[in-house]
Amino acid sequence: MIRQSWWKILSVLLLVYTFVAGLLVPLKPGIAEVSPRAFKAGSEVEMTVTGYNSMYSKAKNNLNAWLKLSGENAEDERVLKASSIQVVNDRTLKLAFKLPEYLPSDSKDDVCSLILDSPVDGAIVLPEGIALTQDSVNFKEGMDLWSVDKITHLNVNSGLTFPYRSVLYETIRNQYFHVPLWFAMLFLFLFSVGFSVRYLRTFDADADHRTLALNRAGFAFGILGLVTGAIWAKYTWGAYWSWDVKQNMTAVALLIYAAYFILRGAFQDEEKKARLSAVYNIFAFAALIPLIFVIPRLTDSLHPGNGGNPAFGKEDLDNTMRMVFYPAGIGWTLLGFWIAAIAYRIEKLQSKLLDA
Amino acid sequence: MIWNRLLLVGLLTLLVQQTAFAQQAASGDFLRSIGHIYVVVAVILIIFIGIVLFLIYLDRKLTKLENQINQNE
Repeated sequence: MIRQSWWKILSVLLLVYTFVAGLLVPLKPGIAEVSPRAFKAGSEVEMTVTGYNSMYSKAKNNLNAWLKLSGENAEDERVLKASSIQVVNDRTLKLAFKLPEYLPSDSKDDVCSLILDSPVDGAIVLPEGIALTQDSVNFKEGMDLWSVDKITHLNVNSGLTFPYRSVLYETIRNQYFHVPLWFAMLFLFLFSVGFSVRYLRTFDADADHRTLALNRAGFAFGILGLVTGAIWAKYTWGAYWSWDVKQNMTAVALLIYAAYFILRGAFQDEEKKARLSAVYNIFAFAALIPLIFVIPRLTDSLHPGNGGNPAFGKEDLDNTMRMVFYPAGIGWTLLGFWIAAIAYRIEKLQSKLLDA
Repeated sequence: MIWNRLLLVGLLTLLVQQTAFAQQAASGDFLRSIGHIYVVVAVILIIFIGIVLFLIYLDRKLTKLENQINQNE
């Protein structure tokens, strides 16, 4: 029993791990909001920072904040330390800055980054998040008024966390649920092609049953991937269906697979059915790969990993996420094969009954 | 067999109703609350419902086979 079903047990264990780790590991503390976000040089300004998962009260006297203006060259970089930091509560902070008369900038308006350093939360950067304006430009004076000091000894958050990214927020966890569905679908379809080839070489009805079962499970996973993707898109891209090339081409690929099942229904003769659908299945897979992997890379797409949009990289898929993402991929794929195996056994029973 | 299936369908409708209710209660922005965590919940729920639907489909096929075997006997 255990010797035969070890991979089913493995799939359950990996998925339990995926659910527990994928849902319980918190997001890294981040800056959810800063208001106001535009200031004029030559006055004392105050801004309210709203944190996400932050613990400001715990680090009350050890907080530091800077505004950073990065010039064209590395040596043009200037910083301004906060004149006062007031902790309202764990999630709210009031920062005050004495902005000098001139900015170290050669234009009337510029954008700077906010850096917040805490021994509890680690250092958080809000890149290019704050707008500064000045009435007249005096580059040299501005360079002298702002500090040339480099910010050193920033704290690092050593806890087990997932990256905090604006737009994504907690939905970054969908990486363990939406993406592995496609992994599973691809492997199921790949194996189904293998059995189609075997059928055409041996005309063994068993290979046809395996192809059918694998395609059924793969198609179900594909539909789920499309629907979960649409929900994720609603809250990150703004609409369930953006007519994005990735969404369109995936829908086309799934329609091609839907036609596989319709094609099978069109034949009464079992052998003819098996032979034609095996040939069709090979063509369906040959269409699937360019439709979901090549075409979306050729034009602009909102989907990560496609045209004009990098794949989830160092910032979005860090090592902590990999620790959950890879087991999730294996776990969901094994679950897909488990479902396909049950569908195959039913198919086999049915054909035995028909022969008897 | 029929009780099994009824139980599954009942469970499913209960789940769908609950999400619909939850969405209504917070006037549309419920899924955006607490860092959009309910988007993840919705995604997991859909995968669960999808797998249950596939189970129901397999269940029905098996019932048909069982009936055939019973008739042959």
